[in-house]
Amino acid sequence: MEKRKRIPARFQVGDRVEVLDLKLEGHIRTPSYIRGKAGTVIQFCGFFLNPEDLSVGNTSGPVYPLYRVSFAMNSLWPGYERSEDDELCIEIYDHWLNPPES
Amino acid sequence: MRGYHDIGGDDAGPIPKEELPWLYWEKKQEAMRNLLGDATRRLVSLDELRHGFESFGIEKYKRYSFYRRRLEALIDTLEIKGVLTREELEEERARVGRDWEPENTGAASHGKT
Amino acid sequence: MTDKHHHEHKHDDHAPLVEEDDAGNLEGQQITDALQALLIRKGLLSAGEVTLEIQNIEAPGTHLGAKIVARAWTDDNYRQRLLANGKDGASELGIKVGEAQLEVVENTPDIHNLVVCTLCSCYPRSILGQPPSWYISKAYRARAVREPGAILEEFGLVLPKGKKIRLHDSNADLRYLVLPERPPGTETLSEQQLAELVTRDSMIGVATAAPPGSSHV
Repeated sequence: MEKRKRIPARFQVGDRVEVLDLKLEGHIRTPSYIRGKAGTVIQFCGFFLNPEDLSVGNTSGPVYPLYRVSFAMNSLWPGYERSEDDELCIEIYDHWLNPPES
Repeated sequence: MRGYHDIGGDDAGPIPKEELPWLYWEKKQEAMRNLLGDATRRLVSLDELRHGFESFGIEKYKRYSFYRRRLEALIDTLEIKGVLTREELEEERARVGRDWEPENTGAASHGKT
Repeated sequence: MTDKHHHEHKHDDHAPLVEEDDAGNLEGQQITDALQALLIRKGLLSAGEVTLEIQNIEAPGTHLGAKIVARAWTDDNYRQRLLANGKDGASELGIKVGEAQLEVVENTPDIHNLVVCTLCSCYPRSILGQPPSWYISKAYRARAVREPGAILEEFGLVLPKGKKIRLHDSNADLRYLVLPERPPGTETLSEQQLAELVTRDSMIGVATAAPPGSSHV
């Protein structure tokens, strides 16, 4: 039996990353509000089938690395006032991330 | 184009606190989806279901309640897979309707099997 | 399928949850029953397994999450194992987590956690059962990630200044359970008594656990 392809993990805990705004149609689990934002990887969750594939019945695609990434709330929302320490954590697949623009 | 479900950060009114009961038909359609998506059938995954109600179009999405949307997405996905047609379902509904009685819709009731 | 009934909701962005009226619920029942009958005739389902599966999905609830929390409050080694792997931690108590992974996020004097699924309604159903209506409302899903302080205040929770909020948008394969802080004055309570203080809302993050001696839903 063919072994399932695994997309290599490009990031590790502590890395700064930027969320891409891929122009993909269909079922996407990267919300609009987080696209283009920069955060820090706080956890590597493992390898998972891509919902973009699963949503159209493709169960034979590769598994993708999934990370939890943390963002400062005041970097997401202009004028966010409650606390500069407030953060948002969300799960992002590897192909939606790049190292930050330098 | 941003999906109509992709609403994180949007403006919205106060949180509606009224807790709606979970009705028997709502549980039944969830149960059916779980079974149809199990390892022996793999007919409708949660990802396909979500894609279904995200693809309704905004009018249908806004018209229906949360569980009715899932029921409609379940039917749509089964139709796409060639498992059934809406016409067959209408015929079944007419067939079932001749002897059909509404169940007690209360959340505590388990109705007929 | 035609809609020959009226829905009592507004077609605007600030509409609260769309509720089915009686006619809508009748239609939901009829379609569901017809769908089940059709799938049975096609040999894809049996009536007995649908009934069993309904029982399965009705079984989880606040009591399962409360059991996990109460154990974590009383057993520090368990708490650490739970935080490292929520699914395994739940398994130790005989609670089977059906979702891919469970992330237990701990409230501390410095941090308050809040969980939302902005895209749909992801929730640890295999532990807590069905989410409350407000959790799947547009208002909660839209506003929680942007103004969590205001959301908590709508639930009657005002956090101390200096306590940071950590939000979790449950958008992919993990499901989240908040481990609330143990209320003060509970040192002599048994694990069972502690479990009674743990509310569903405290495990989502819109409330703290109830103080001892209070009555709560």
